[in-house]
Amino acid sequence: MAKAKVKKVFLDPLGKQNPVFAQVLGICSTLAVTNVLKNTLVMTMGVVFVTALSNFTVSLLRKVIPSRVRMMVETLIIASYVIIVEIALKAFVPDIWRQLGPYVGLIITNCIIMGRAEAFALSNPPGISLVDGLASGIGYAYVLLVIAFFRELMGSGTIWGYQVMGSWWTNWSIMVMPPGAFFMLAVFIWIVKGLLLTNEEKKS
Amino acid sequence: MKSQFWKERIYPVVFMVAVTAVFISVVSGIYLSTRDMVKLNESLFLKRAVLYVADITVPVKGAAVDKVYRSRVRERLDSEGLINHFEILEDNVISGYVVFAGGPGLWGEIEAVIGFTETRDKLTGVEFIKQNETPGLGARIAEEWFKEQFRGKMGPFVLVPESTAEGEKELDAITGATRTSNFVLEIINQSLEDIKEGEWPKPR
Repeated sequence: MAKAKVKKVFLDPLGKQNPVFAQVLGICSTLAVTNVLKNTLVMTMGVVFVTALSNFTVSLLRKVIPSRVRMMVETLIIASYVIIVEIALKAFVPDIWRQLGPYVGLIITNCIIMGRAEAFALSNPPGISLVDGLASGIGYAYVLLVIAFFRELMGSGTIWGYQVMGSWWTNWSIMVMPPGAFFMLAVFIWIVKGLLLTNEEKKS
Repeated sequence: MKSQFWKERIYPVVFMVAVTAVFISVVSGIYLSTRDMVKLNESLFLKRAVLYVADITVPVKGAAVDKVYRSRVRERLDSEGLINHFEILEDNVISGYVVFAGGPGLWGEIEAVIGFTETRDKLTGVEFIKQNETPGLGARIAEEWFKEQFRGKMGPFVLVPESTAEGEKELDAITGATRTSNFVLEIINQSLEDIKEGEWPKPR
């Protein structure tokens, strides 16, 4: 594994190939879970774990999976890891599990995970696939955390459940509801893409 | 010809069955090894809820919760072995009761435990033990300020805008979660009627 390749595979999903703001994948969970920072962190850690390990496992099996049933196998692998995450939450942090409710199970349908398995793990060795899965998960996680930070701050006046805004602050209820996520995501994409574009123009 | 039939038709099926068996075994293994822990978490959660609605100080540590629960609470089972209601004891004399209540919520069922005095004329507390309401909005029914407002009152309640409730019958609704507030109101008021008539709202 050339070092340069590993670096590229790791950095691309964090920047210009980011699954959320460049490829616009995994948007349903971006809308659903990002109104409270704590839930977002737990959910995105789950996604990082599942993307990394499912990529690794799919890559290990890539030479023996018949192409006809490869999507079934990928779904099976992803679903198994998600159920493991859910069981672990239930056993070790039951309070957070109770708050997340159905969202953990919905990680199975996150298209980033399936997308990476299809696009990367099936045609690359396990080590680099693990790196790719990890980076895609982290790329997804930090975008959601930024969005959640602002939604919780403006929607509830709190950060991590602690009141930070004074009594002068009026909560923007819309920030807590799904439309708030649309606005925040759009603003985020606008700023990031604007920055990336100006950088590329400078280069050329 | 024969080898192609094996490769195209039989192998994918055999592979799928084998891979499914492996993953199911792993997931089941993890499930079984954490089952006792999950059960313990759930029973501890219910015990905490019962103590909370009976207005008894809930200890932080699990073992201490058990101890207080054993000395202050008696479970009353129905003919099928389910818990019908809880008797709250003060110096071995019944001082109040705790019952289950439930009904539809916005996204799924809401279940609560409700505590009231032996004379059935005052609520000692309400706790929601199952709810899938919107995080940040409807899920705020699980917040302290919302639950605390039932203590010492005996409805039937009417909803008023958030943080304007005064007196015995008024209940602060949650801004941005009108429907959840209405569902909760219905569950509580229905149970209050049952309680006043001397019935047990809903065994579990």
